[in-house]
Amino acid sequence: MGSHPASDNGQIIDPVITVDGMWQVFGVKPEPAIEMARRGAGRATVLQETGCTIAVRDVHFQVRRGETFVVMGLSGSGKSTLIRGTARLADITLGRVLLDGEDLTAMDAETLRRVRREKMSMVFQHFGLFPHRRVIDNVAYGLEVQGVDKKERHRRALEVIETVGLAGWGQHYPQQLSGGMQQRVGLARALAVDPEVLFFDEPFSALDPLIRRDMQDELIRLQRDLQRTIVFITHDFAEAIKLGDRIAIMKDGVFDQVGTAAELISNPATDYVREFTNDIPKVKVLTARDVMEVTTTGSGWREVRETDTVESFVPFLLDDIRPLTVVDDTGRPIGLVDRAAVSRLLGSDR
Amino acid sequence: MSVAAPTARPFETTTVQRAIPWLVLAVGIIGLQIAFGWVDGFPAAWDLTFETPIDDAGAWMRANRRSHWLFTGLFSPLSGIIDGAIDAVGGFLAWLPWYVLIALVFLIPARVRQFRAGAVAAFALVYCGLIGLWEESLETLALMSVAVFIAVLVGVPLGVWGAMNHRVEAMIRPVLDAMQTIPAFVYFLPLFMLFGIGNVPAAVATIIYALPPVVRLTTLGVKRVSPQAVEASRMFGSTTRQTLLKVQLPMARPTILTGLSQTIMMALGIVVLATLVGASGLGSPVLQSLNQRRTGRGIAAGLAIVAVAMVLDRIWRSLAQSERTARIDRRVLGWTAIGLAGATAIGVALGWVDFPSVWTPSLFDPMDQAVTWARDNLSFLTRPFSDFVVASIYIPARDFLTDTAAWPVLVFVVAWVGWMLKGWRLAVFAVAGVLTIGLIGMWELSIDTLVQVIIASVLAVAVAVPLGVWAGRRPRVEAFFGPILDALQTVPSLVYIIPAVILFTVGIVPGIIATVLYAIVPGIRITALGVRQVPTETVEASRTFGATPRQTMFGVRLPLAAPTIMAGINQVIMMVLAMVIITGLVGAGALGFETVRSLQRSLFGLGFEVGLALVVIAMILDRFTEAAAERLQPPGGH
Ligand SMILES: Nc1ncnc2c1ncn2[C@@H]1O[C@H](COP(=O)(O)OP(=O)(O)OP(=O)(O)O)[C@@H](O)[C@H]1O
Ligand SMILES: [Mg+2]
Repeated sequence: MGSHPASDNGQIIDPVITVDGMWQVFGVKPEPAIEMARRGAGRATVLQETGCTIAVRDVHFQVRRGETFVVMGLSGSGKSTLIRGTARLADITLGRVLLDGEDLTAMDAETLRRVRREKMSMVFQHFGLFPHRRVIDNVAYGLEVQGVDKKERHRRALEVIETVGLAGWGQHYPQQLSGGMQQRVGLARALAVDPEVLFFDEPFSALDPLIRRDMQDELIRLQRDLQRTIVFITHDFAEAIKLGDRIAIMKDGVFDQVGTAAELISNPATDYVREFTNDIPKVKVLTARDVMEVTTTGSGWREVRETDTVESFVPFLLDDIRPLTVVDDTGRPIGLVDRAAVSRLLGSDR
Repeated sequence: MSVAAPTARPFETTTVQRAIPWLVLAVGIIGLQIAFGWVDGFPAAWDLTFETPIDDAGAWMRANRRSHWLFTGLFSPLSGIIDGAIDAVGGFLAWLPWYVLIALVFLIPARVRQFRAGAVAAFALVYCGLIGLWEESLETLALMSVAVFIAVLVGVPLGVWGAMNHRVEAMIRPVLDAMQTIPAFVYFLPLFMLFGIGNVPAAVATIIYALPPVVRLTTLGVKRVSPQAVEASRMFGSTTRQTLLKVQLPMARPTILTGLSQTIMMALGIVVLATLVGASGLGSPVLQSLNQRRTGRGIAAGLAIVAVAMVLDRIWRSLAQSERTARIDRRVLGWTAIGLAGATAIGVALGWVDFPSVWTPSLFDPMDQAVTWARDNLSFLTRPFSDFVVASIYIPARDFLTDTAAWPVLVFVVAWVGWMLKGWRLAVFAVAGVLTIGLIGMWELSIDTLVQVIIASVLAVAVAVPLGVWAGRRPRVEAFFGPILDALQTVPSLVYIIPAVILFTVGIVPGIIATVLYAIVPGIRITALGVRQVPTETVEASRTFGATPRQTMFGVRLPLAAPTIMAGINQVIMMVLAMVIITGLVGAGALGFETVRSLQRSLFGLGFEVGLALVVIAMILDRFTEAAAERLQPPGGH
């Protein structure tokens, strides 16, 4: 979605969320388990020796304002634990979570409640809707607990219901809606409070593939207008690539790699990451900028934008042997692509 | 390990090990019998004369009821509030013209579009009027409404608290278990002492007895609310209170309503007994028809109790209904209210208050004739059965246990059973219980009751388990039994003791028959459940090995269903115990009769001892059957 985060030395400028050394250990005595893990013991060994499950293991990351940060991992890799710890739905064993510079992990219940009302929302895998409330009252729930009066909160709820494409369904009960529509209600409920940060825990996993694609497109459309800070959990690598500005690949409680889709694909850090990227056609993900040769002087026979996917300009390269000029959004040339670059890419796909 | 190790050795060891407990049992019994055989019953000298201080306390309470702060400051005001509430509700119901009340009973559910529920409730009330028990029905309705209301008022918050806090739940749970194990009539006497005679002790007994389902199901309902919904609520910054009121309680509502229905059903079971402590209402017509041996009237009045419970259940449910269903148009409601007010004014002014007497319970009298006919013509069946049970089973068993067997032998056997079932803790618990019974001088009466309870339980199990297995295998059989079982369970137990008394005359047999009828219901239900729950795959696996249906039944189905069946047997025994007082009313003697006598003559000390003995018996039997069910559980499984 947006452009890349500005990062030199790994620090992100203006982070909304900072997770610093998060550990989450389930079991009666977490300290010795952490000690063991620090000395290099694996998850299974620690579980056998101490009876503790290390669900999240020393995870660091930051999320920039307006960025969509996706955490991708298979079942049991600790994604839910991570997002719940980040939203402080569960207390973490060790580490800090900062939201706009405020330490969530150290907050008392009252402050936490205030911060939640003002800044956060969450969309759940199994929707977490309130079956006893009409759609409109589900959506207005966040405003209701803030004490917004009924007329005002219904007005705002109706607006959001329309935004997510459910106009006319406000008076229905959630069970009267299809799965995809129910998750739209979940989305509307999260958006109604106008949150700064949105957490998504596998929101589309319970949906059929076609509806899932609709919902992904819907989210992309909304995010283009709203520019919220999003932490998004998924076990589907294609979904991660489609939605994420940056993607973290999680395995056994640790991040194997964090980067843009292009970085992960063109340069997978581990075999585990490569296994996922292998299935993804690179020409659909990599853009002109990813394959170009940086130069401001050369001139091709035709211009392509730096954000165009390789797939979209391959026909031009086949039409003519000369290279293409890559330009940024202002139209300034920033590099060249030629047949050799693309054939290198296609070669490595096999 | 050496290869040549003799394989027979370990086998022999286990055989010997298995025989040891039985050897201990035999040696213990013989030894103790020889040593104590000359002792005549439980030594009377050890009687703690526990009744004297209780009698004194009772006398003291009677003397100080008007002066001591405990009464003026606590029980009397409490009693005043409950009594006032019952009187107010009863007075209002009686003041309303009958047709307005019937209309209201229909309209309250109809207001949330539950037309069928409204019609059922209105019809139930019309029935009460038609059989000429209008006033009594309203009295019972008032008493039960107040009791159920208070039970909800106390039970729901308690249940919520239990759901929020493990420690509270861990504390409440054993209390609830005990409350459900103890037969309700045991509460009567202490309440009678504290509150005097009348509606109040009956209402309080009903509250105590009916509280467990509300508390349990509220806790269950709140805990079962989807954790995601609760988290969603927290994520929006709800306070604990907001989450509770806006999410958890509304989502738990169906479960809480189930608890409420159960509460009403349990309250219904007490109505007749409540007459014994002076409560007004439908109980006394039932008791009267028992005394006059008039089955028809008894059934008519018994059905009226069921009708009142139905009215209460439908009304409560509709009041607890959310705004989920579309309500009736406001204007329609407004006009209806005005119409009702007008009808009330006219009715009150003209004195059309009581249900016009058009029909009387005498319409049920043909039933009396039928039962009399059955008595006269079936005596060739009933008489030998009755004689056989009394002369060949009951009397020999009772005499053997009281006279022949020395009391230490019985204590030893109880300890041994407890030890075998679960270990020394249960053995110690059971021995302490049995000794308590002896020390309060209830030894012989308790043995008498125990023998009756065992006979009734064995008969009930012998009927219930085969029927349950049958029903569990054939859905059609179960569908056929369903309504019959419902009827048996909802009609107050006293009602079917009336024909039993006529057929078998007074004594232990009619009590046993009625008890069996009452107690087989959970036995059949739970057995059927257990058999049905056996996984089809396991059964099919057995078939593929060529097992005959018989082999499949005894080799696979029954063993797998055994723990559940045992739980059913536990329920059967608890129901049998709940009937002890009713058997006492028809001449079965023992603890049941003593309970009735202590209530009628205000013999507080005696009543306490009898109650204590019954509680002990109930708790021991409960723990024993529970432990047996656990032992039947395959290792590792739950
Ligand atoms: N409350 C808990 N107590 C003990 N162990 C837990 C608890 N919650 C999670 N775990 C364990 O932590 C590990 C990570 O679980 P988590 O739910 O975070 O995985 P996930 O990546 O979200 O998986 P899924 O895709 O199935 O949702 C698992 O091994 C799980 O068994
Ligand atoms: Mg998860």
